[in-house]
Amino acid sequence: MTERPPAQREPGSYRDPSGFVFRRDGVLYRQVNQVFADDWAAFESSGLHAALVGAGVLVADHPASIELAPEPGALAVIRPDEVGFISHPFEWSFSQLKDAALLTLKAQTMASERGMTLRDASAYNIQFHAGRPILIDTLSFERVRAGEPWKPYRQFCEHFLAPLALMAHRDGRMGQLLRTWFDGIPLDLAAKLLPRRTRFSPGLTAHVHLHARAQRRHAGDTDAPGRTAPKSVTMSDPRRQALLDHLRRTVEGQHLPAHGTQWADYADQTSYSAAGTASKEAIVQRMLEAVAAEGGKRAWDVGANTGRYSAIAAEAGFDVIALDGDWAAVERDYLKLRAAGETRIMPLLADIADPPPGIGWANTERASLLQRANADVAVSLALVHHLAIGRNVPLPMIAELHARLAPHVIIEWVPKEDPMVRHLLSAREDVFPGYTMEGFRAAFATQFEIVEEAPIEDSSRVIFRMRSLP
Amino acid sequence: MSLIFAYIDPGAGSLIIQALIAAVVSVPFFFRNAIRSTLGRLRRKPAGGASGSIAAEDAGATPTDSE
Repeated sequence: MTERPPAQREPGSYRDPSGFVFRRDGVLYRQVNQVFADDWAAFESSGLHAALVGAGVLVADHPASIELAPEPGALAVIRPDEVGFISHPFEWSFSQLKDAALLTLKAQTMASERGMTLRDASAYNIQFHAGRPILIDTLSFERVRAGEPWKPYRQFCEHFLAPLALMAHRDGRMGQLLRTWFDGIPLDLAAKLLPRRTRFSPGLTAHVHLHARAQRRHAGDTDAPGRTAPKSVTMSDPRRQALLDHLRRTVEGQHLPAHGTQWADYADQTSYSAAGTASKEAIVQRMLEAVAAEGGKRAWDVGANTGRYSAIAAEAGFDVIALDGDWAAVERDYLKLRAAGETRIMPLLADIADPPPGIGWANTERASLLQRANADVAVSLALVHHLAIGRNVPLPMIAELHARLAPHVIIEWVPKEDPMVRHLLSAREDVFPGYTMEGFRAAFATQFEIVEEAPIEDSSRVIFRMRSLP
Repeated sequence: MSLIFAYIDPGAGSLIIQALIAAVVSVPFFFRNAIRSTLGRLRRKPAGGASGSIAAEDAGATPTDSE
């Protein structure tokens, strides 16, 4: 027998006794445990497994040798298809979270039709793959028992409905609460933060306000005699169906108010002439093609804004993560890409000046953004002045961060005489004597070699293509 | 007898309130379904219809269809 590479359990896969996810030799596997045998068999025999994969609701998986199982008690080992990039729910815009919620309910509907049900409704079980949300937890289904309530109800409300309602009715930035309460927003908090008018919404009144009150009232419940035992709650199948239908309607009824934000209309405010824009697009395209020719496949568009350059990267053959710190820009980009059926670009809500940290158990359960950096090229256009002047980040630190993002960088230098920089400095003292092209070159020279540089026509800006030093 | 087998905590209050909510919302749910099936029998293609019945027909629709 050949020596097997050691198995590494995925840090976030520890809650569910029915199995877990691990890697061997970089390949992702899932161990299914014997304790889950009956439900796993029903998942197959009911046809649900095939139906979910066929409908693109669940990632496909392939049988693997049980010899690969790292822990005792294994029933089977499967090798699920991997999604290209793992994102966290607080990195999604409103509509991404809403689509993930509706996909969860669609999976539940398909399960109900085959005598099965979801066992959990964690937003972390959903990922975006080829532009669409997809369920990645193959062990999320079990046989439904007669009279059983919908067990993931609380988790669904905390992971999906509460943040959606807060974004829709209070502020789009409220989704960031999921960064602190990564296992779902406490409903009592959501109820406090929601505007009073949401009490006139039957859906939010039921699933958030009354739900929060019931949680508070029954917080001290035990199995002691004389108390209503929550474990004895029963619900007929049709009633559970009605509850799920009502939840779906409530999710569908959440809409963002229509208004712009800081960046959403930014593209129209740039200092470029038409000739400058055409020149910049041509330069970026040429440089991306050069990186692609060197084998580049994945691009991160840092500060993607409207996603114009993400689209150019996708056209050049890259799978693109389009990062932006402004939720409205990400939302607009996602809606545009979704309508166009674009599959190669994933809009991601993340501020590169404050990248999402590792969170959860031991700070490793959900990986930080920089740990997930997998790009071959970072595209940082019209970004350096926002970091250096808008955020006071010294140029050498900007260079160091880029070296952690990708081995290739396409970055735009924006000089002090540029109107956008003058705007940034209009209300503050210029404490940036080192913000010069010479300073920029010197800072990046410690990490990168400059492969080429191209001045943008009709503009004082210059785009550099760099390769990290060996 | 205990009916709940779950590795996540479904929450005592969450179990109790969902049973109450389900009881309430099942009334319009079945009413709507009854109207829909009656309409379906009367007219093969309902022109427009109330927004409620359209949404109910979308039960299995893909998430993108919701916007």
